[in-house]
Amino acid sequence: MKMGMLMFLMMVVVIGCLMRVGLGIRFVIDKEECFSHNILYEGDVVHSSFVVIKADNAWHHVDDGIDFVIKGPGGEKIKEFHDKISDKYEFIAERKGIYHFCFSNKSPFHETVDFDVLVGHYRTYDQHAKSEHFNPVVEQISKLEEALYNIQFEQHWLEAQTDRQALVNESMSQRAVFKAIFESLALIGASSLQVFLLQRLFERKLGTSRV
Amino acid sequence: MKLGEARWLWTLLIVAAAVPAARGLWLDLPSTGSKCISEELHNNAVVLADYYAFIGEDYDVNATQTPTITVKVTSPYGNEIHHSEKVAHGQFAFTATEAGNYLACFSLDGDQGGKKVTVGIDWKTGIAAKDWETVARKEKIEGLELELKKLEEAVETIHNNLYHLVNREAEMREVSESTNARVAWYSLMALTICIVTSILQVLYLRRYFRKKKLI
Repeated sequence: MKMGMLMFLMMVVVIGCLMRVGLGIRFVIDKEECFSHNILYEGDVVHSSFVVIKADNAWHHVDDGIDFVIKGPGGEKIKEFHDKISDKYEFIAERKGIYHFCFSNKSPFHETVDFDVLVGHYRTYDQHAKSEHFNPVVEQISKLEEALYNIQFEQHWLEAQTDRQALVNESMSQRAVFKAIFESLALIGASSLQVFLLQRLFERKLGTSRV
Repeated sequence: MKLGEARWLWTLLIVAAAVPAARGLWLDLPSTGSKCISEELHNNAVVLADYYAFIGEDYDVNATQTPTITVKVTSPYGNEIHHSEKVAHGQFAFTATEAGNYLACFSLDGDQGGKKVTVGIDWKTGIAAKDWETVARKEKIEGLELELKKLEEAVETIHNNLYHLVNREAEMREVSESTNARVAWYSLMALTICIVTSILQVLYLRRYFRKKKLI
């Protein structure tokens, strides 16, 4: 009975520990934006990803990215990305504490950015598990759960990138139409200008020679 | 199992269960204006969100000074799903009736003494938002079986997301191909207009010169 109770306890702990601590959000960045997350256990694997979905300028399509900096609890820089449109990074949290994820936007336009963080607790549990005759099935299920959450995280990143590409596609299509219309109007305008100038030239020539 | 090890397990259990407020992402609120976060949701997606505001570096449940914020959640068509003012923490939950971009905006209520206010948001969608206790009770499963059921749902979600992605890619491919076809047709059209305009020019100028008896 006691063994069973403890097994159940372990199960509940596993469930409690491996709830997906992460969320994918989108926000509009002006110049600087920082997010913090409290990492509760050292040795946790932290996955983070970001994608620039669109820039708020309707016409001019510029592929400048944004800067992304990950800072640890003491303010030390764990990773820096400069001028990237999308990227993802995993690291093992050396110590527990508040980690900061900061974005900075160098372009003059507002940009919509999709950001996701996933924290996996499995690694810390691994060390304790080996020394305590842990049920191997539960251990494997925890590994499976971690792998599935990783897949979901990567899917979210992929979805965000697809969103960005869909927007680029649509704007390209629109620009093709506008370019064609503009070109035709410019052609017609240029040719009527030519005719008008020639008429004026000959009228002047005729005027001076006939008089 | 010795008592010492059981005690460790208990602390872990208590810690895991008692720090829901420490989860989620934290963002700084500016003293004026609001900060908004959005999420793209499919139809019938369930969202459970928890928000809490605090001053200082870390969240303290027993803090004496709690700031108050205003929260507004709007659907893609502009309907307000949730609106609260002058609260330090709260929850909201909704089922997405329209597919699109849902916006949650946070702003400070007046000046909070110039201190830095941080808002923590714990936003759960999909299987994390599902009420597993009810499912466990209804189907009389527990422990390992419940965990496996959760994993099954997770796999189902991944599968659905993949279908969704495949459809988006097919749509994008269609748009790309139509853009390609359109660019080709428009170039041809531009060339035709160019030729037609030049013929018209020549005809008009010839008529003009004939009228003026130059030719």
